[in-house]
Amino acid sequence: MVAAFFEAYSRHDVETMTEMCTDNADFSYVPYEVWGKQRVLRGDGKVRTVGKVIWSGLINSFPDLFNVVHSIDANDKGDVVVMCDIGGTQQSPWGFAAPKGGRFSEPHLFIFHVDENGLIDKIKAYWNGAGINRQLGHLEVD
Amino acid sequence: MKLFKRKSIPREEQGIVNTTPEQTVRAFLNAFQLRDVEAALSVVDKSVRVEIFPLDVREGGFDDIRTALTDIVTAFPDLHLVIKDVIETGSVVTAELKVEGTQAADYAGAVNQEKHLDVDQAWRFTVDGDHIVGIHVYWCQNQLYRRLAVKRLDQIAIV
Repeated sequence: MVAAFFEAYSRHDVETMTEMCTDNADFSYVPYEVWGKQRVLRGDGKVRTVGKVIWSGLINSFPDLFNVVHSIDANDKGDVVVMCDIGGTQQSPWGFAAPKGGRFSEPHLFIFHVDENGLIDKIKAYWNGAGINRQLGHLEVD
Repeated sequence: MKLFKRKSIPREEQGIVNTTPEQTVRAFLNAFQLRDVEAALSVVDKSVRVEIFPLDVREGGFDDIRTALTDIVTAFPDLHLVIKDVIETGSVVTAELKVEGTQAADYAGAVNQEKHLDVDQAWRFTVDGDHIVGIHVYWCQNQLYRRLAVKRLDQIAIV
């Protein structure tokens, strides 16, 4: 299921990615933060709300978004840990990063949980946002 | 009739310990929680491969993990490590941590301004026998710099 999820991601097929998850699947992109004057927008919530928006936004900003999966490790409790690189070339604003045609590729760690029905019910991801911003030429710590 | 009988030697005395990968990793993390770098390193193989992406450590080794642990323990003497989850998937063990503390020395180029750090991290360990042979560390350096009042990635040391 998780390998198929990344295949759908590589095809930019957000609908299929979403359909591989339960209706109430949890979503947490840990490094995702957008700081405003009075509140902080975080990448926490549900796949069908926060997750879908973030994936669609990423694909829109990086039309050639790709992923390279290095390893998938799983146990019989439904936990799946994936090491991969995600990257692409920026064509539209992403967060506070203005498009300069920069290209990034950054190691990511994904932690999934798959339920007894074979659907993903949790997605969590870690990466170094500073590494991405440097590659895109965005040097402000927003 | 046997003239000699082989004495049964416990596995521990033979140096063979049935330690699960999760137990090995927890030994590392528990020592880290106590800010005991040497105890943490006691379960790390000398030939360990280390990748600490936020610190730009690629294809690093034992000395790199020693430096990383020493630096954070020194810079944050009140380091508070919360182990949020430990997931064992065969020989790979993944730990989700929250690292908290108050800065007391320069860290990762950031000048000490006595700011508070609270950063979520993921550490992916590969275990062989009772030793850690691979470590991959993930956190967002942007989050860390933001907490430590760094404004620009190209002017980290400037306040």
